[in-house]
Amino acid sequence: MTIVLAARDLEKRYHLHDQEVAALRGVTLTIESGEYVVIVGPSGSGKSTLLTLLGGLDTPTSGEVQILGTALGLLDDRRLTRLRLERIGFIFQRFHLLPVLSARENVELPLAERGVGAAARRARADELLSYVGLAARANHRATQLSGGEMQRVAIARALANGPAIILADEPTGELDAATGQEILALFRRLHADGTTLVVVTHDDHLAAEAGRVVRMLDGRIVA
Amino acid sequence: MTWAWAIRDLLRHPVRSGIALLGVAIAAALLLDMVLLSSGIERSFEKLLLSRGYQVRVSPKGTLPFDTEATLGDAERVVAAIRAIPGVVQAGPLLGASLFARHDGALLPLVAYGVDPTAQGIYLVEDGHDLALGDTTHVLLGGPAAKRLGATLGDTLVLVGRLDPQVVAPARTLRVTVRGTVHFLYDAKDQPSIALTLPVVQSLGGRALADRASVILVRVADGADSGTVVNQLRRDFPALGSNTVGELVATFRERLAYFRQLSLILGAIALIVTVLLVSTLLAITVNERLGEIATMRAIGVSRGTIARQVVVQGVMLVVPGGVVGMFLGLATARWLDAILTSFPGLPAAISFFVAEPRQLAIAALTLLVTGLLAGVPPAWRAANAPIAATLRSDAP
Repeated sequence: MTIVLAARDLEKRYHLHDQEVAALRGVTLTIESGEYVVIVGPSGSGKSTLLTLLGGLDTPTSGEVQILGTALGLLDDRRLTRLRLERIGFIFQRFHLLPVLSARENVELPLAERGVGAAARRARADELLSYVGLAARANHRATQLSGGEMQRVAIARALANGPAIILADEPTGELDAATGQEILALFRRLHADGTTLVVVTHDDHLAAEAGRVVRMLDGRIVA
Repeated sequence: MTWAWAIRDLLRHPVRSGIALLGVAIAAALLLDMVLLSSGIERSFEKLLLSRGYQVRVSPKGTLPFDTEATLGDAERVVAAIRAIPGVVQAGPLLGASLFARHDGALLPLVAYGVDPTAQGIYLVEDGHDLALGDTTHVLLGGPAAKRLGATLGDTLVLVGRLDPQVVAPARTLRVTVRGTVHFLYDAKDQPSIALTLPVVQSLGGRALADRASVILVRVADGADSGTVVNQLRRDFPALGSNTVGELVATFRERLAYFRQLSLILGAIALIVTVLLVSTLLAITVNERLGEIATMRAIGVSRGTIARQVVVQGVMLVVPGGVVGMFLGLATARWLDAILTSFPGLPAAISFFVAEPRQLAIAALTLLVTGLLAGVPPAWRAANAPIAATLRSDAP
C-alpha cells in the first residue's frame, strides 16, 4: 500500500500567558492509501492540533509531515497552498461554506482555484453534489441549507480536486444524531470507494466504524 | 467567480455598502470639482483671450489689460509702430471709459469701449451692423445696456462724457444712433457696455483721454512667433507692458494660486475620505469574514486570490461610487460656476470649472488608484491571516 501521510516526532508547543504549553509531544503516525483512521481523545489531548499539522495549516515546533513523500516543512506558502488544494480535502465541524455562494459554487471554488474551466467545473460540481445526494439543492445558497446539507456540500467541496486524503475535524459535532448518521453513511461510502480518511471526533459511532482508531492523551498517541 | 463573489458579499450588508458607496460618490464629486477648479479657470481665461485671434496684449506697464484704469498715451503713434513690426498682422487700440446716457431724465452709468472697428477683438455683432472706421454718430449696445436703456436698433441716445467735479466746464454730450447690438466677450454679468469708435470715446473723455488707449490687441501672423513679436515690442516700447496670452495666463495663474491651493487641499481631503471609507468598510468586512478566509486558505485558495477578492470589493465600491460622483460633481460644478462667475468684475464668459476629457480621466484614474490602494491593507490582512489560529478561534 502507498503511504499517503507520514508524521514523524511531531511536537507543537504554544506560549500561553508566558507559559509554554505542549500540545503535541512526539507524535508519529503513518496512514496508508484507502485507510479510514479516526483520532479520538478528550478535549485538549491534541487531536485537532495534530490534524492542523497533518494538513499543513500550521507548522510543527519540531518533527516532519510528509504527504505522498513531500515534506511539508520544505514548501513555501505558495507550494504548500497548492498541495492543500490538490492533495488534501478538509471538512470542518462548522462546515465553513461561503454563505454568498450557492452549493454548486461552493463546490466549484477549489476547482476554480485550480484553473478548471467553467463548464468542466460545473459538471464536476454537479457530479459531486449528486454523489452526496444534493443534486436538487445545487442552486441554493449555503444559508438556505440545513446543517446536514451544508456538511454534505462541504464533503463534496473536499472531494472536488480528487484529493489523496480527506481530513475531517469533528464532522458530526454540529449535527443532531440522525443527521450525524447520514454523514457517517457518507463516510462509509467514501471509504468503500477508496478514499483515505482521517477523522478527529468525539463521536463513538464514528470511531466504531473506522478501520483504525488512534487514541490521544496529553499530546501523545497512547493507542 | 471573483467578481460575482465580491458583489454578493457587498450585498450581504446593503445598507452599509450603500452608505459607503454614497460616501465615495460625494468624495468623488468633490475630487472632480477640485480637479476641474484647479486648472479650469486658467484654461477658460486662455480660451477667452485667444477667442478673437489676438495673441499679444500691450498695456500700461505693470498692469493687466483693464486691470486698472491706467491708460497708455500717444496711442495712434504706438499702434502705427506696432503695425509696422514684422509678423504683426493687425493691431487694434481699445479704450475703456465710464460714460453716461440720458434716460428718463436721469443719467445711466455705462461702460464704454472705444474701438478701431477694423481691429477689435472684444465683441461679436449679434444684430444690426458693426461700426465703420471714423464713425462718430453710431453706437453698439451690449444686451444689458440695451435692456436698461430700453433701446433698439435705430434709436437715438444722448451720451454724456465723464463727469469730473473738479472741472468747471460741463461734460461733453453726443447724440448717437444705435447701429447694432453686440455680445461683449470680456464683460461681467449684467455689465451695461456700449462700443463707439476710439476717437469718440477719447473725445467724450475730455483731455484726460486724448490719444490714449487702455490696451492694444495685437494679432500675429500664422507661423510667426508671438514671443519674438513681444520681445520686439519690449525693445521698441520699454515703458509699456507687452505680453503674450501665455504670459498673461501665467500672471493670472499666480494671482489664483490660492484657488489651486484650496482645490489641492480639498482634493486631498476627498481622497483621504475615500481611502478611509473604503479601507474601513473592507477592514470590517475582512474581520467579519476571517473565518471564511481561513477556510478558503485551508482548502487551497491562494493568498493572491484572497487579496484580489478584497481589492475587487474596493473597486466595486469605488467604480459605481465614482460614476455617480462624476455626475454629481458635474452638476455641482455647474451650480458653483454660476455662483462664482456672478462675482462682480469677472468676465461672465469665464468658467471656473472646465470639464475636459483629460480632467475627467485624471479624476477617475486618481479615484480608481485610491480605491485600489485603500484595499491593500485589508487585503494584506486577509491574505496573511493565520489559518489554524483563526479556525481555532472560530470553532465553538
